[in-house]
Amino acid sequence: MFCEKAIELIRELQRMSDGQLPAFNEDGLRQVLQEMEALYEQNQSDVNEAKSEGRAELIPSIKLRHCCLLRNQRCVTAYLYDRLLRIRALRWEYGSVLPPNIRFHMCAEELQWFGQYKKSLASFMRSLGGEEGLDITQDMKPPKSLYIEVRCLKDHGEFEIDDGTVILLKKNSQHFLPRWKCEQLIRQGVLEHVVS
Amino acid sequence: MFISDIRKEFYEVVANQRVALLVSSDIDALCACKILQALFHCDQVQYTLVPVTGWQDLGTAFLEHKEQFRYFVLINCGANVDLLEMLQPDDDSIFFICDTHRPVDVVNVYNDTQIKLLIKQDDDLGVPSYDDIFRDEEDEGDDSGNESDGGSEPSGKRRRFDEGAVERRIERQRERREWEARRREILFDYEQYEYHGTSAAMMFFELAWVLTKDTKDMLWWAIIGLTDQWVHDKITHMKYVTDIATMQRHVSRHNHRNEDEENSLSIDCMRISFEYDLRLTLYQHWTLYESICNSCYTSCSFKLWTLNGQKKLQEFLADMGLPLKQVRQKFNSMDMTIKENLRDVIEESSNKYGMKDIRIQTFGVHFGFKNRFLASDMVHATAALLESTEKDESDSDNFIKALDSLSRSNLDRLHSGIELAKKKLIAIQQTVASCICTNLILSQGPFLYCYLMEGTPDVKLFSKPMALTLLCKYLLKAFVHSTRNKRCKLLPLIMAAPKDVEKGTVIVVGIPPESETSDKKNFFGRAFEKASESTSSRTLHDNFDTSIIELKTEDRSKFLDALITLLS
Repeated sequence: MFCEKAIELIRELQRMSDGQLPAFNEDGLRQVLQEMEALYEQNQSDVNEAKSEGRAELIPSIKLRHCCLLRNQRCVTAYLYDRLLRIRALRWEYGSVLPPNIRFHMCAEELQWFGQYKKSLASFMRSLGGEEGLDITQDMKPPKSLYIEVRCLKDHGEFEIDDGTVILLKKNSQHFLPRWKCEQLIRQGVLEHVVS
Repeated sequence: MFISDIRKEFYEVVANQRVALLVSSDIDALCACKILQALFHCDQVQYTLVPVTGWQDLGTAFLEHKEQFRYFVLINCGANVDLLEMLQPDDDSIFFICDTHRPVDVVNVYNDTQIKLLIKQDDDLGVPSYDDIFRDEEDEGDDSGNESDGGSEPSGKRRRFDEGAVERRIERQRERREWEARRREILFDYEQYEYHGTSAAMMFFELAWVLTKDTKDMLWWAIIGLTDQWVHDKITHMKYVTDIATMQRHVSRHNHRNEDEENSLSIDCMRISFEYDLRLTLYQHWTLYESICNSCYTSCSFKLWTLNGQKKLQEFLADMGLPLKQVRQKFNSMDMTIKENLRDVIEESSNKYGMKDIRIQTFGVHFGFKNRFLASDMVHATAALLESTEKDESDSDNFIKALDSLSRSNLDRLHSGIELAKKKLIAIQQTVASCICTNLILSQGPFLYCYLMEGTPDVKLFSKPMALTLLCKYLLKAFVHSTRNKRCKLLPLIMAAPKDVEKGTVIVVGIPPESETSDKKNFFGRAFEKASESTSSRTLHDNFDTSIIELKTEDRSKFLDALITLLS
């Protein structure tokens, strides 16, 4: 049946509804585009035939194919747009350097888009807050305290904080550190916030 | 040196600095650590917390952190050895030691610059005075100076001076030898017995109180720290009662604030109350029957490893009018009518059976509708978590789990701890019963000795120091109740259990003899050291308690022989 492959693409995204980015389904996309091309060719020939030979009974099938084409187009654009939204969210969650396993899931154009998004976000942040700019990707929720208690989940070696002091992050040691330095490491899974 | 004003000399010094906390693995240290962490959170003092299990761990942790930190706080470790010699720190490192281990090493006491002891100076210490132990070396210099002056004099006078100088020198040397002999004796007496002082958690609670930053959570942790010392038999009964009275003053002070009739507290708020409760371990989270069977006090008084003992227990329950069906049910599901006067009924009946102190002064906490815990419940649960022998769990993983279980927001961890504690208690009672019934305890002359073979059920649990010490104490009590030999009742007990099967080592624990008025002073630390030296056995004195060591299995017999000769 027509448009089934397009629906497959949409379902793929729906399965990962928590914002994860699945691998870029280049095959699926190509198949949908091929189907669209085939439909378009058939439509073209039928339209020519209908016009030249006046065969009005071809018109419903032309209409059907046209609707399928439009549907395929909607599905494909929805797929691509949803992926872009997820990639945008990744910048806010992971910071400007993405882990390699996520980059693997993006196609070349998406990577390019991501780079441009990063640039425009960075120039926006620089324009705020006077000379230094303001990093708005930190403290997404209003913080309750300046310092938080964190526990080290794996050996991470030495870690330097703002005033130059170095802390050794060894497994199962607990530290009381400024919040903004820890957020990165918490997202990476090296530290765990301890709520008591 | 001893700190007199804990606020000025400790807290205000570290308040603007970064501190490294090195915390030993026992419940008192965990509670003290929680209190200190809460204070540091209040004042935003940056710290790093590192758990340590023994001297080697302490050394490695210090080496790793000495570049980054200047101030170190050691909790329940470090007072009983010469710390500066062991760690070789730089001159600007400062150590704050809050340790219950006594005797405090004399070098730690008299060092004025780098070691600060967070211990009260009158806390049962008996430190020898400075002049008895340390002596200035200036006298030697004067002596040789006189001699060289005497050399420039004309010959007649020189001979007279020489004789005088020689006599003085001989006199001085004799004096010095006498002084050194006295010094050795004083130090020997001072360091011979090992015992414990005031709980570290209570010290830090006092700090919190002085800063008026104490909360009910901190008070509860201080109570748990004190109860840990009592459960693991580290302090005398008198000291426990005195410390309970101190805590009771704090509890009434906290409760007094909430006595207002108009705005009574919500049920979810934490309430601490003084309880004169039964000595049955974990009875509110277990069935009454199981608790009676597995608590040391009742099990030893009834001698539950004998058939007679079982019968007496049944009589006891019948005497109180408690139906077996009720008693074998979970405590929370027992009939309300039975639960109401349970304590008084049990006390009356136990007096008839010779158990005069079935009730003990303690504290309980109450928050929410379901959550009631006694201090001893928490101690057992946290101790079981701290020494859990699950595979793939390192000591520091267990430390973190146990530390978490002390917070009120981690109740599921606490409940899992209670389940582990129940298993541990059952294992202890079964081991005690089998040891007594198979006469595994041998009298070696100056002490009793028991060795747990490798195939004994649950022997893995006893490869940990606290669990083995608890087993040791229960076993000694049971032995004292069951033996007819009057002399054996006064002997101390040494127990050995396999620790690491691959490395082929056993863990050896020695405890002092069991008596009503025991002062809990343990001489096995020095004895083990001397025995190990004299037989050159391969031992590891890694634990902060010197009476717990690790020994190679092959050296066991010669080590024991050396101990026997040493102590007889």
